[in-house]
Formats: sequence, C-alpha cells, structure tokens
Amino acid sequence: MIIDQVIAASLTLTTPILLAAMGGLVNRQGGIVNIALDAKMLAGAFVAVIVSSMTGGWFFAVVAAAVAGAVIGYLFSLVITRANANMIVAGLGLNVLVAGLIGFVLNWVYDSSGTLRLPDVQLLPKFLPDSVSSIPLFGLALSELEPLTVFAWLTVFALPFLLANTRIGLWVRATGNAPQVARAMGISGRNVQDFSTAFAGFFSGLGGAHLALASIGLFNEGLTAGRGFIALAAFYFGRDRPIATALVCLLFGFLDATQIRMQTAGLPPKLIGTIPYLMVLVALCIAGWRNHRRKAVAP
Amino acid sequence: MNVENALPEDPKKVSVRLGAEGICKRYGSVEANRDVSIAVAPGEIHAIVGENGAGKSTLMRILQGIEQPDSGRIVVDDRPVELTGPQRAFALGIGMVHQEFMLAPDLTLLENLVLGDEPVTRTLGPASPIDWRAALESGERLARETAAHVDWSRTARNTPVHIQQFVEIIRLLRRGTRILILDEPTAVLAPQQVDDLFELLKSLRDNGTTILFISHKLREVMALADRVTVIRRGEVQYCSLVADTDAGTIAGHMVGGQGALPVAAATPETRHGVSGDVVMEVRGLTTPVVEKSHPLHGVDFNVRAGEIVGLAGVSGNGQNELVECLVGLRAVDGGTVSFAGQDITHLSNRQRRTLGMGYVSADRRHEGLALEASVEANVIAGSQRKPPVRKGSFFDRGAMRRVAEERLAFIGVRYGGLGDAAGDLSGGNQQRLVFAREIASKPGLLIVSQPTRGVDLVGIAAIHGILSEFRASGGSVLLVSEELDEILSLSDRILVMADGAIVGETSAADADIGRIGRLMVMQGAGDG
Repeated sequence: MIIDQVIAASLTLTTPILLAAMGGLVNRQGGIVNIALDAKMLAGAFVAVIVSSMTGGWFFAVVAAAVAGAVIGYLFSLVITRANANMIVAGLGLNVLVAGLIGFVLNWVYDSSGTLRLPDVQLLPKFLPDSVSSIPLFGLALSELEPLTVFAWLTVFALPFLLANTRIGLWVRATGNAPQVARAMGISGRNVQDFSTAFAGFFSGLGGAHLALASIGLFNEGLTAGRGFIALAAFYFGRDRPIATALVCLLFGFLDATQIRMQTAGLPPKLIGTIPYLMVLVALCIAGWRNHRRKAVAP
Repeated sequence: MNVENALPEDPKKVSVRLGAEGICKRYGSVEANRDVSIAVAPGEIHAIVGENGAGKSTLMRILQGIEQPDSGRIVVDDRPVELTGPQRAFALGIGMVHQEFMLAPDLTLLENLVLGDEPVTRTLGPASPIDWRAALESGERLARETAAHVDWSRTARNTPVHIQQFVEIIRLLRRGTRILILDEPTAVLAPQQVDDLFELLKSLRDNGTTILFISHKLREVMALADRVTVIRRGEVQYCSLVADTDAGTIAGHMVGGQGALPVAAATPETRHGVSGDVVMEVRGLTTPVVEKSHPLHGVDFNVRAGEIVGLAGVSGNGQNELVECLVGLRAVDGGTVSFAGQDITHLSNRQRRTLGMGYVSADRRHEGLALEASVEANVIAGSQRKPPVRKGSFFDRGAMRRVAEERLAFIGVRYGGLGDAAGDLSGGNQQRLVFAREIASKPGLLIVSQPTRGVDLVGIAAIHGILSEFRASGGSVLLVSEELDEILSLSDRILVMADGAIVGETSAADADIGRIGRLMVMQGAGDG
C-alpha cells in the first residue's frame, strides 16, 4: 500500500533532520545560531561509512560519526567564542571547508570523485521482528525501525526535561537569554556555548550516520542535500522547543517522502525535488510574519 | 603566635567593613578617581553621592573587582585585600545590585535565584538534576525574612521592577553577601516602593549587612543613609554623618563647593492658567497584547496649547507603548488619536512630523541619535528633504552647516566640531542636541520621554529651561518621566498611568505626591 510506504519513508527521512535539529535548537537556546549543521552531518556520514566498513559494526560507526561531529563542533565553537569570529560567516566557511576537505580525502585516499563505496559496510539493524509488518498502516514503518530513529524520538521527549531540570540545561538557557547575567552569576558563558555547539555537532554527526547507514550504505558528496539547513528552518519554526520542532521535522520528512513518490509517478524529478526546500522558505516566511505580528511594529 | 589572632574575628570589633584608601584611576587623560578614600563601618548605610561623571561608577567598579586601581588599596574587615576580579570580591561577601537588573528576562524568578549556585538532588557535575523544591524553600524563606511577596514561577520579564529588585537582593544574600552595593536603586520605583525598599534596607542593616548606596537624590540620602560621602570630579569633597549635615550643604559640595545651595526641589514657576485649545486628543487607545510590551487598555486624555502635561507612572506600565503609538511607531488596534484637527491614528511618523509633532525619545542612544554619525548630520536629520538644506537633487553643504550651527547655538549645545560623532558628547549635550533638532521645525507639540535620564544637574536645569521656554512660546508638551520631581516641577497638569491606562489626573497646583504615588501603584503591573 502506498500509504504504508509513505508513512515508513516519512519516518525514515525525518530522522536525520530531527537529530540535527535537536542539536541545533540546544545550540540556539545557548545563543549560537549554528548554520554549519550541514557540514557536521556530511562529516558524520563520511566517518560512519569508513568506520562501518573498517570494523564491520554499526555501533562503532555511529559513535565515531557523533564524535567526529562533536569535535568539529567544538573547534568551530572555539573560533566563535575565543577568536570572536562572526558565527554566520564562520559557519558558511565551515560548510565549504568540510565539503572541500572530504572531496580532497575522497580523491587522495580513495581515488574516487564524489562517491565512496566500501566493502562490508554494516547498515543500521532493524530490530523488531518481521511479524510487525502485518499491522495495518504502521506495520511497514515499525518493521523498518532502527536504533537511531528510536534514539532521536527519545531525545525529543527527554530534552524538554533536561533543559528545564539540569544545571547544564539552566546554564544553556541563561547564557542564550542573557549572557551578561550568566557571567555575573559565575557561569562561563564561553564554556557553556562550546558545550552546546559540541552537542549540536554530536547530534548532527548522528544525523549524518543515519543518512549513510539507514539504507544506502555508501557516501556521496551530495548526500546531505542541504538537510542541515532544513533542520535550521525546523527549529526556527519550532521556536527552539523540542516537540514543536520535531513536528516541523516530521512535516519536512513527509514532504520529502511524497516528492520521492511523485517523482516515480513520472513528474519532472528536479522540479518536484524542490518541494521540501520551497516549504522551508514558506515556513521561514510564516515564522518571520508571526514574529512581526508579535512585535506589532507600525507600518 | 598570638592566640587571639588565630580566632575568627569578632565582627563587632571590625572598624572598617569596606574601605578604599587613596584610590587613583585614570583612563587616558581623564582622572576618574583621584586619591579617593572612603570607610564604611559595619552595619551602616553609607551613601555616595555625586553628579553623573563624578567618578562614582569607577569607584564602584573598583570595589567590585571589575577594574583594578592604578594606585591605592581596598580594605575589607580592616585588612587590605586585592580584588583580582568580581569573583574574588563576591567571595569576600561584596555583592552589587546594578541599575540594569541582572536577571535573565525569560527565566523564571526561581531559576534566576539559583542560577550559578543550584541545589541538586544528586551530584553529577553539570548534569546534576536541580532540586527545585529546595530552591523554592530557600527563596520563600529569604522572601519571608525580607517581608516580600514573590511569585517565583513568573518570568523576570513579567515581574514588576520592585519585585525584580527584591529578587536580586535576595539572590545576593543567599550567596553570602555581607556588603551590599546598590547603584541608584530607586530610579525605577514609585514612592511607596521606595519606602518599602528603604524598610528592607534598614532591616538588612539591623541584621548586620553593610550597605553602600549610590544616589543623586538628596531626599533619599537624608531619609536612609547613616553617613554620606560626596564625590565631585573624581575626588572626595565631603564626608559626614547624615545626622550632622543637611541637604543644602551636601548639594553645595556636589555641584560647586562654595557653601550651601538652596535646595529648590520644586520651584513652581508662574504657570499659564489652563487655557488653550486642544492640540492632541486621545480616545480609547488600545494596543494588542504583544510580547515584551505592556498593552494599553483604553487610554483617554488630551493636551492643550501652551501647557506641559506630565505623565507619571512606574516604569513598564505602558508609558513607552503610549509614546510609540502617539508618534507612529507602534500599531494600534482601537481608539483614535487626533492632532491639529486631524485623525492621525494611522499616519506614519513622517506624516505626523509634517503636521507639527516633535519627539524626544527615551532611548537617546538608539532612537534619538545616530551616535556614530556627526553632530551636523544628527541635528539636520529630518530637514534634508527641503531647502535650504536641499538644493535640487543635492545638499547645499554651506547651508547645511549654517543651519546646523544656528540650531546648535540656539539651544547652546557644547560641541567640538560639526564633524564630531554625536556619541562623543556628554549625556547632557547629546540630549540638548536632540532638542535642538526637534524644536527647530517649531512643532506645535513635543512628545518628550525621560528627557533627563543620564544627564547631570547642570544639563537637567538646561533641559528644564528649554521645556519651559517652549511652553512660554505657545508650544505644548507631553512629558513622560519616571522622575516624579521633574514632573511636579514642570507640569501644568499631571496624569498618572498604571497598567496601561490613565488612572488619575490632577492639576499641578493640587498635586499631592502621596496621592500620585498611590495611584501609580494602585493597579501597578500585577503588584506581587
């Protein structure tokens, strides 16, 4: 059934965006708008494919991808918090830099241009028994469930609690809301921001690992297809709140899934492929308009 | 070793809780502090008074460890200490309440209370879960001790300012502050709230807290302080027990030093009897509920020709929003504003100015002036579309300079060169620059918000003079101010605003500060 397939595909396509968005919203609550999520997803995907091939284990691959993302995020944060670089310009630079470095390594080490196929890449395991696929509507989605999707959704519901009730959660919110107040209360805003950017890198790396290891098992330079930016739009629209943001991610995942179906139905694929990105633009316009109304500026 | 010295000192025996000895601090060619010495005894309320720019804030930054003195030393509990940073000062028990409250606006009061020193249920480093129940208990206990009523679940943004101030004081006490420094703490409060604050400070003093109180309001110094130190031009001018001196003597030391000045707090000038035609009429003005602002609930009033109407109120009760609506910077969703016989409710700011409205913004640094632009550009701004400044498609540079010089001279703005950045002027001169521009087009109505904020005594007198002359020449003024003295001394009529509406009106002749104060807090924003 088409509906089953669309539900399953929506859920799968939501996961990478959702992971990156959860990282990015924590980062933004801490006062840093991270436009380099895409770079960290790309790095995560790249590392995941290599480590999965080397070790033959999905778990190590996923952890390595997350750590790679976190390290890049941390270094990126140092550039912003210690060298006082502009976060947007530095973020743009990081996106270009990571893409360029990966292309270089692909070419130099693997003698390949654009795509990396390695032997023995282990994909993310589907852990529910096949029998669940007989459940109407959601059966297919359940049978394709893998650990990262479960983890992503657990994060969605754990984050509000963690942000509200742990010291680091309070510090992140205070730093983003009033950095001078946090500093006056003895909190090192820079350390907290470094943490939150590394956190965003960690989750973006996981998102990248999901892109590479959920079904295709290979790396491609265009693999993220701007999903880091879609994640950015999602938490802008969700106003940095985990559950609202997750719903927006789900919408983008659904649009992505439907556009793939529409392509197979014979509509011009490139044009249809722009739908999710068009929706991002629409979402941001709505968010901006809503903000404008909230401030009630005179004409 | 002497046994007595090894014992913890009896706090009663300390003679100087917090002191400065021979502090010098210069910034470039400016000597902000010159050989400043003060001594604050344990359990006393010590006021430091001086004009803006006298060096009070520099001294406070040094006492707080934010800046290091060039020479001289700080003494805590009779011992010299080196305040290497704010953390060190804090560890010694020195805590400061700033003019800008140090509360994160979107966090709740409870979150603000514990921020940086959170009670935890389990120790897991930064990941420790916060023990909100213990936090609430400690907050409630301190609130009870200080007799304040605090709704801890509110965000700081939605809390009346006097409660924010209480919370800030409570937060310092919770962290072990024994020496409390308050920078102009009454600037944002209504008279009753000032009384409450003074009660609180006195009870803190009686419980052993030492208080350093920075102010320029002599009435408050006389009411609260045990001892007063006057600073002028970076030097200590005068120090005395409050009981042994009087306001006139202190004022004399503040401004010029030759003996006592008469304290003319409110010199009622000869006022026009309420007279002229209605210039501006506001009927049922309401604004939508929007974030970060206070909505208006049906504001009604008018302004007549040749009068100054004062609008009093506690900060954040809708005054800024009202002003923005009147000058065309904020959307309105009900009611009308008419001006010069025309409905202007939905006109733009530029259209309103064309009709003869001038505007002196409360936010001089962002809305009133372009600080990085030249004095000339700032005083010409708004006149660039018409001759003589404009000549064909270009500016007439010569005419521009001439007009600028005329305008600046008319009000007596002191500036170096026309090309200097507006931000280089002193606060008082910046404000005069704004007035020079706004009255140049001879508007029928000036809307003036917080005109003397951050302005020294001489500047205040000049600005009050400008307003009185403007009225004398037939102009009308809507004067919005948190300085009740200013409103009382200038206005012909006084309106009181609370909770987004006008809650009272009185003529200047019948003005009663007690009644105005009660009106200000009658419906005050949710008043704790």
